[in-house]
Amino acid sequence: MSKIMTVDVLSSIKGAQPSETVNKLFDVIKNANTSNNNAFNNNHNNGVSLDNLRDDVVVDSSATEKQIIIENFPKEKNGYLVVSKVIEA
Amino acid sequence: MDKEISCTQLVQEKLEALKQNTHNTVNALLDTMALDLAAKVDAKIANGESIGLLEGIPFGIKDVYMVQGTYTTASSDLLKNYKSAYTATAIQKLLDAGAIPLVKENCDSFGHGSSSENTIFGAVKNAINPELVGGGSSGGSAVNVAKGYTVFSIGGDTGGSIRQPAGYNGVYGLKPTYGRISRFGLMAYASSTDCVGPIATSIEDIRIVLNAMSGQDIKDQTSYASESISEERLSYSEDIKTVGYFKNFVESEAIDAEIKADFLSAIGTIKAKGIKVKALDFFESNTLVSTYYTLAMAETASNLSRLDGTNYGNRIEADDLKETYAVTRSENFSAETKRRIVGGNQVLSQGFADEIYLKGLNLRDQIMANFEEDFNEVDIIISPVTPSTPPKIGESLKDPLAMYLSDAYTVGFSLGELPTLTIPQGTATGLQITAAKNNDELVLKFANFLKDTI
Repeated sequence: MSKIMTVDVLSSIKGAQPSETVNKLFDVIKNANTSNNNAFNNNHNNGVSLDNLRDDVVVDSSATEKQIIIENFPKEKNGYLVVSKVIEA
Repeated sequence: MDKEISCTQLVQEKLEALKQNTHNTVNALLDTMALDLAAKVDAKIANGESIGLLEGIPFGIKDVYMVQGTYTTASSDLLKNYKSAYTATAIQKLLDAGAIPLVKENCDSFGHGSSSENTIFGAVKNAINPELVGGGSSGGSAVNVAKGYTVFSIGGDTGGSIRQPAGYNGVYGLKPTYGRISRFGLMAYASSTDCVGPIATSIEDIRIVLNAMSGQDIKDQTSYASESISEERLSYSEDIKTVGYFKNFVESEAIDAEIKADFLSAIGTIKAKGIKVKALDFFESNTLVSTYYTLAMAETASNLSRLDGTNYGNRIEADDLKETYAVTRSENFSAETKRRIVGGNQVLSQGFADEIYLKGLNLRDQIMANFEEDFNEVDIIISPVTPSTPPKIGESLKDPLAMYLSDAYTVGFSLGELPTLTIPQGTATGLQITAAKNNDELVLKFANFLKDTI
């Protein structure tokens, strides 16, 4: 079996093909000049500081929240989520 | 003329107007919730209790925000019956302030579009000319505000999705600094540029709603604490001494002649008021659009990979698990959403990541560094919102590349994480006002100055 995964498999979308339009955008990036400095600078300073990490505790969902999560189950049996067969035939 | 009506009457009038409207702005009305909340406000007033600034004010919500117990569809087939289990932080803050949600608003599916045509609820029609698109992706929100169906609406802006529809419909729309408002409960499109923001008919309303929604949230670790912006400070604009604009935006071949002339005339008026105007160099539109779409597609491919119909969503059963995923996603995602997911997986895959995705990140760093240098020289940058006027309904879907390129003036500020406001002045699709990161106040100040100037 080939080890190359095609975009339809990667995307879980049947028959998906790379789009010509999108490839045009990618070509612009391929041909663009990037800075010599490959180490990314510090502009993306959005990480949270260690002092501000939330407490490592489990927060239980409310009864309403749990109820709605169950309502959203695509398939349900006795209050449990029914999933598709995992083992391929 | 002032007239006194009860909150319930006001809410009923707005709900009725939304129900009757033919602009396809409504995905779901929240009538029971809205009328219950209105009755509570009326009872408070009857008891002589004081009420807050936002109390009883009816507003709209783009259909990508969680509001517990309401349908949140992202205008998609996949989530057309999905009910929010919890409420987004930004929306909860408005509810806590007493504002009344009326409607979940039509938009491009998962924010994927610039025209609000990529939706299962029918293309949103422009508020000014219904033959034209409402803009996107927060099209339903901008049209509702422009038509007066909602007092304000909460849109989402990843690459221009608040600012462009605000411009197309002649209202104000703010993308705050990235992180100023928590994204918790906003369905993720591209997490590194997704922003929550208000659309309204005045700067004052934008200020009040922005203040109500801002603040650090433990549930979104990119959010940060910010100070409230006071009304008094907005009238003081003397600290704005230099305004910049990007030369290549106006020299571009793609810009409509009238928009260009109007923009240059606005620049002339600003100069005449004694403000120094500086022409700035910036990246080519093609580079900006390509960098934005490369990164946004990569992020959306990753964010939307959770939508496989297992725990929620419109699952379509097939022979086995993998096949169920594939059929569910193939049948339920729109062509545009699929195009973006596939593009994203393409750039993240081995062999392409270095050549495209990492290069895209590098370009983003350069764009951000460029902005930092610019804001050492100027206080404000102004730009047109779009190169042209809104297209006719049906045109954008035929030519996705043209749609991507129409975002040329908005995406750069998203990549820069900068606060940017569309004002309904200056050109046919408005003007954008941008300041340095965290300087949302200066943006509103300059908007206030321009209100009486141009």
